[in-house]
Amino acid sequence: MSALYILIPVAIALVGFAIWLFFWAVDSGQYDDLDGPAHSILFDDEDPLHKAGVEQAEEQSQRDKPDA
Amino acid sequence: MPAPTPCYHCGLPVPAGSSFHAEVLGATREMCCPGCQAVAEAIVAGGLEHYYKHRSENAANPQALPQALPDELALYDRSEVQQPFVQQDGELSETQLLIEGISCAACGWLIEKHLRGVPGVAEAHLNLSNHRLQVRWQDSQIPLSKLLAELRRIGYAAHPWQPDEAAERLAAENRRRMRELGVAGLLWMQVMMATMATWPEFNVDLSPELDKILRWTSLFLTTPIVFYCCGQFFRGALRDLRTRHLTMDVSVSLAIGGAYVAGIWSTITGQGELYFDAVGMFALFLLAGRYLERRARERTAAATAQLVQLLPASCLRLDADGQSQRILLSELRIGEQVLVQPGSLIPADGQVLAGQSSVDESLLTGEYLPQPRGIGDGVTAGTLNVEGPLTVQVQALGDATRLSAIVRLLERAQSEKPRLAEIADRVAQWFLLFILIAAAVVGLAWWQIDSGRAFWVVLALLVATCPCALALATPTALTTATGSLHKLGMLLTRGHVLEGLNQIDTLVLDKTGTLTEGRLTLKAIHPLRELDEGACLALAAALENRSEHPIARAFSQAPHAAESVDSHPGQGLQGRVEGRLLRIGEATFVCALSGQAVPSIAGEHGQWLLLGDEQGPLAWFVLDDRLRDDAAQLIAAARTRGWHIHLLSGDSSPMVGEVARQLGIEDARGGLTPDAKLAVLKQLHGEGRRVLMLGDGVNDVPVLAAADISVAMGSASDLAKTSADAVLLSNRLSSLVEGLKLARRTRRIIIENLSWATLYNGLVLPFAALGWITPIWAAVGMSLSSLLVVLNALRLSRTPNT
Repeated sequence: MSALYILIPVAIALVGFAIWLFFWAVDSGQYDDLDGPAHSILFDDEDPLHKAGVEQAEEQSQRDKPDA
Repeated sequence: MPAPTPCYHCGLPVPAGSSFHAEVLGATREMCCPGCQAVAEAIVAGGLEHYYKHRSENAANPQALPQALPDELALYDRSEVQQPFVQQDGELSETQLLIEGISCAACGWLIEKHLRGVPGVAEAHLNLSNHRLQVRWQDSQIPLSKLLAELRRIGYAAHPWQPDEAAERLAAENRRRMRELGVAGLLWMQVMMATMATWPEFNVDLSPELDKILRWTSLFLTTPIVFYCCGQFFRGALRDLRTRHLTMDVSVSLAIGGAYVAGIWSTITGQGELYFDAVGMFALFLLAGRYLERRARERTAAATAQLVQLLPASCLRLDADGQSQRILLSELRIGEQVLVQPGSLIPADGQVLAGQSSVDESLLTGEYLPQPRGIGDGVTAGTLNVEGPLTVQVQALGDATRLSAIVRLLERAQSEKPRLAEIADRVAQWFLLFILIAAAVVGLAWWQIDSGRAFWVVLALLVATCPCALALATPTALTTATGSLHKLGMLLTRGHVLEGLNQIDTLVLDKTGTLTEGRLTLKAIHPLRELDEGACLALAAALENRSEHPIARAFSQAPHAAESVDSHPGQGLQGRVEGRLLRIGEATFVCALSGQAVPSIAGEHGQWLLLGDEQGPLAWFVLDDRLRDDAAQLIAAARTRGWHIHLLSGDSSPMVGEVARQLGIEDARGGLTPDAKLAVLKQLHGEGRRVLMLGDGVNDVPVLAAADISVAMGSASDLAKTSADAVLLSNRLSSLVEGLKLARRTRRIIIENLSWATLYNGLVLPFAALGWITPIWAAVGMSLSSLLVVLNALRLSRTPNT
């Protein structure tokens, strides 16, 4: 039980840190747009650069297979 | 005529015989106008055609966006104009632009992708919630006017944006609410752990000093929740007590305050039970409910509020030599002369000094046809010059204009808006009274039996019956329903709409742009000589294609071009098609060419245009403002609810009576000014009616603001949208019919929720009165009842028939 004497202050300090971090996130505008990012992740699949990267990776893995 | 196919880009009907199309996603798509075609081609050329695959809504019609001339955009490159809204950061300039024309999430993707591909743009980020684009660019590589033009190329209008006081306050408040929610959540978890350890049910073998430490720890952690997060409840309660109302805020404050004060007492004395976790849970649940409700409502309301742009940003001033120079509207003075080109907005009230034209005043007056204006006539700021250039002497500017008078009428009307009673507040009132009486009785009884326990029993009673579920019952249902409505194409901007729709008994409608589509379409062709309908249409279209008049938009692209077309404002057009001299327009004007008598009109309503050549008249064209397809459906839905229906239009033409006859509306009045419309509404209010107003024009704005509930069309003027309680984004009246149904279901769910919450509190009351309730049972009961209420509300997110 004596561990609690240390753990309680540690917990309070951690909460304090979490709140500070949360305030910083809110003030830097990270919660201002809660709609956009949810959609943008879907469109990224169509990004030509992303597609090219995926294709390249697939080719690479197929070329690697016979060696393995 | 059959219903036309919708335009692939914007969804508006494609005129018959249109020749606009574009290759999108591997197929040829029909377009309604050259604007849509150009935008679609620009999107495809930029490699961004996936936009069409991902969008969930049609795009805005590019012609519906405010027009911007290249030299008007160039004004934004002047450094003194940029100074208030552009920040310099070394090489880079940074600004925020407000984007008009965003209809769904795919638009955000399109804008960001397109701008990032433009050389010189370092960063582009669009906030979908408030439609603001943050952009950083190199001014040496690309001027701001080019950026605005790039956005226009893909179908969006951008306006420089400066945060005003209201917008800043709103943003600051949103962040403050978010912080409160976060603090309540983070601290509650800690408080719960510390408090639960002291509960006997968990059987933690605590030493007395550890028990004391945990009590002080939870007090320390609960204090910020009460003082930082719950301020809004206490302030609300104080306000309501001053006006002698018992509302939800009062009962919430009582529960939170009671539990907190008792907790302090128990911490200091080391006796009794701790209810700190209940304080945290209560605060978190309620704050979350309110935050979600707030967000659902303010999603795009904040964005459109910025867009009240009824006047052009710049105008062409004429100096003493008759030279025109483009200046900002703020630089214009009374007595100066301005040149108003066809197709642009008139910047100030004034008198025509030179020129002959017609002016589209439909937004201001509801007249659906442009009114002829010549030398000596007065013109009004905010109306659209249609046909020829006008020189106008400025007589009134800014606050002195007729437009501002309407805006002032709006402000007065808003302050007179009646408040519809909310069910939750009425229930809360009775609930609180009942609980307070019960607490007093139980407290007295226990005082007689065991005075030492009386306080704790009363406290347990207050906490256990704490109206958490009751307070969540309405916000959760409203939030879910608001989300479903948004999917159906109806955006609610104020909270009382869903509940209020059930109390409505009178429907007031505007005609132009609301019941009708607000633009002329070709209804019939009556050939008078040897040429058939198709040939006459081809000739008429060839002439009309060269005109900017709204009538011309009813005609599709012609197969052959006309030569030397002259516009005779107020009369018609004259031109040569394949060597044949033709006139179209007013019957007398057309017949003057051949010297023949004017043929008689067959009696249909609408705008009759005559086409003729030198041998005589060729054909009649009947143009009409088409009724919306779902207008009858809306009227039927209103009638089954037993509502009174009134049609109030600013249009003085016989169209009003005709529309009323087609839809079977008995009370139809035309030619009403905004004041007269407001007077009719006041009279209805005087009779004790609850009025739902549906409109779109600036002339409807005062009535929209004063009606119990007002709904604006998506194509309405910005001012109408911001003063309405809801906007039909889809521009379909059927969305409103769906909204009415959903409002009924919402009311049912709210009543279910309220009944369940009261039932739970009623059941728990006897146990609390007997002193059997300990903090753990209070916590379990509170969470379960709240969960049930939330799950019940979520049923509203399912739309029927899907």
